[in-house]
Amino acid sequence: MSYDADTIIRTRHLAKAFPLYADQREWLKQAMFGNFKTFSKSFWALRDIDLEVRRGDSVGILGRNGCGKTTLLQIICGMTRATKGEVWVKGRVAPVLALGATFDQESTGRQNVLIAGAVMGLKRAEVMAKFDSIAEFAGIGAFMNQPLKHYSTGMRTRLAFAICAHVEADILIVDEALSVGDVAFQRKCLDWIDSFKKTGTLLFVSHAMDQVRRLCDRTVWIDKGRIREQGDPHQVIRSYLQAIRSERDDVRRFSSSEQ
Amino acid sequence: MNKIGPDPDYHDALLLHDVDGVSVIDGNLGTWAAFVRFLRAPFLSAYRHRDLIWVILKRELDERFKGSQAGWVWALTAPLISLAIYTLAFGGSAVLPNKTAAKSAYDYSLFVFGGLIAFNFFAEMAYRAPSLLQEYAHFIKQTLFPAEMLAVISTLRASAYAGIGVALMLASQLAFTHTLSWTVLLVPLWALCFMAFLVGLTWFLSALGAFTRDVSYLMMTVSPLLLFATPVFFSNEVLPYPISILIYANVLTGFVEIVRDLVFFGRLPGLGVSAWTFFVSVTMFWFGYWFFSRNRAGIADVL
Repeated sequence: MSYDADTIIRTRHLAKAFPLYADQREWLKQAMFGNFKTFSKSFWALRDIDLEVRRGDSVGILGRNGCGKTTLLQIICGMTRATKGEVWVKGRVAPVLALGATFDQESTGRQNVLIAGAVMGLKRAEVMAKFDSIAEFAGIGAFMNQPLKHYSTGMRTRLAFAICAHVEADILIVDEALSVGDVAFQRKCLDWIDSFKKTGTLLFVSHAMDQVRRLCDRTVWIDKGRIREQGDPHQVIRSYLQAIRSERDDVRRFSSSEQ
Repeated sequence: MNKIGPDPDYHDALLLHDVDGVSVIDGNLGTWAAFVRFLRAPFLSAYRHRDLIWVILKRELDERFKGSQAGWVWALTAPLISLAIYTLAFGGSAVLPNKTAAKSAYDYSLFVFGGLIAFNFFAEMAYRAPSLLQEYAHFIKQTLFPAEMLAVISTLRASAYAGIGVALMLASQLAFTHTLSWTVLLVPLWALCFMAFLVGLTWFLSALGAFTRDVSYLMMTVSPLLLFATPVFFSNEVLPYPISILIYANVLTGFVEIVRDLVFFGRLPGLGVSAWTFFVSVTMFWFGYWFFSRNRAGIADVL
């Protein structure tokens, strides 16, 4: 299959199902006799996603809780696999799905930078070389040598984002990561993402519409696992806001269904 | 992991291409090439992630004695105390379980100590492996963490403690008998086989344990029983005929016997035992890796 040289992410008819078991024990039956009969109902987190992202694009992804945003990002990163459909990603991905996922409370900020950097795929020498720059970006001063349990939530976020900002990637994936931290730090992060956009490709998930408007030149609205609308951010955000004002919080949205 | 580039061995491989949850890049290989790729995959992954392995291993080692002032002295104290207790408890028995007369009062304790080091190495992994992936669930679900390397890291950590035990065993052997046989030079080979076996076992148990907690309880029940089905406190030379062969079905028997031959008796282990143990190690290693990779995608979803 050949693609446009500028295409960096492409998905076709992408779908992801999670099995839901009525009873924990059903899982064992599925594992043993799964070839003959299905014991679970499927929850389709994503259905039929066609997405094409070109090099240098900044794509905002909107949607309510549980609509499948994170699952889509996880598939693009390669953390989980789609049930159906095709995904094609070319480039080094830096996922910022959860800030500080690798953080260890007992270790110092310095040790955590080494761990997080290694998990992000940086060589030890690279982390060492960038260490001062990371410390400066985080701006937490002498706390760098303190165990993480003495940090405030804001300080943890600052450190975590500072590490992410030093990973040289082609594709940056940010999932609701900027909601913590004070306004000044948020602006610093947004400024950094702005500068990243000059060379890289961005996938950005946020519930803060002003951030999406500022960073993205295209927006995709995912609703119940399907793309409902995509295109110009202002247009999509307007219809999205209009829709969530009229929709009530449906209690049945997370139940299983047949496709 | 399914991040494989046009050249799969290139360390900064950049392409992900899946159709219906199956990597397309793997697909166009002949059977032989795919098999060679499979055999090399764990080593390539370990080499590619060597910095990450080192960082996590270092943290795990630090973690064990974090907050204690004596720190690593504790790692030495535990086996030292157990050695002392065996000497006190068994020191009086002048006859070895294989009916040869003991050379000194310490013989039986050294005999047991050697077996226990091997068994404890296994037991540490058997207890930890089923919940290993849960321990690192955050890493596996939210970052691009190479989950298959956790088995390697945890085995390396256990090896550090087993290494302390082996060093202590050599030291006490030397202190009590004033000689060391040249066969101790083969101990690293034994350790390598044992580690390969344990990494494979950890791959298998951890993948299984990600799906159900029962594996954890099963290992907790089985491991202590296994101690008595392994010739740790006795020698299998005292067993009656069919059992003395059947006991090799418990693969730990080979490992226990070999390390004891190399260090305590100072002789080469039997060819049959060595070949069987080597075969078991290699088979377990690849089987474990195969099982883990097969279930890798499912693991991320169930954790």
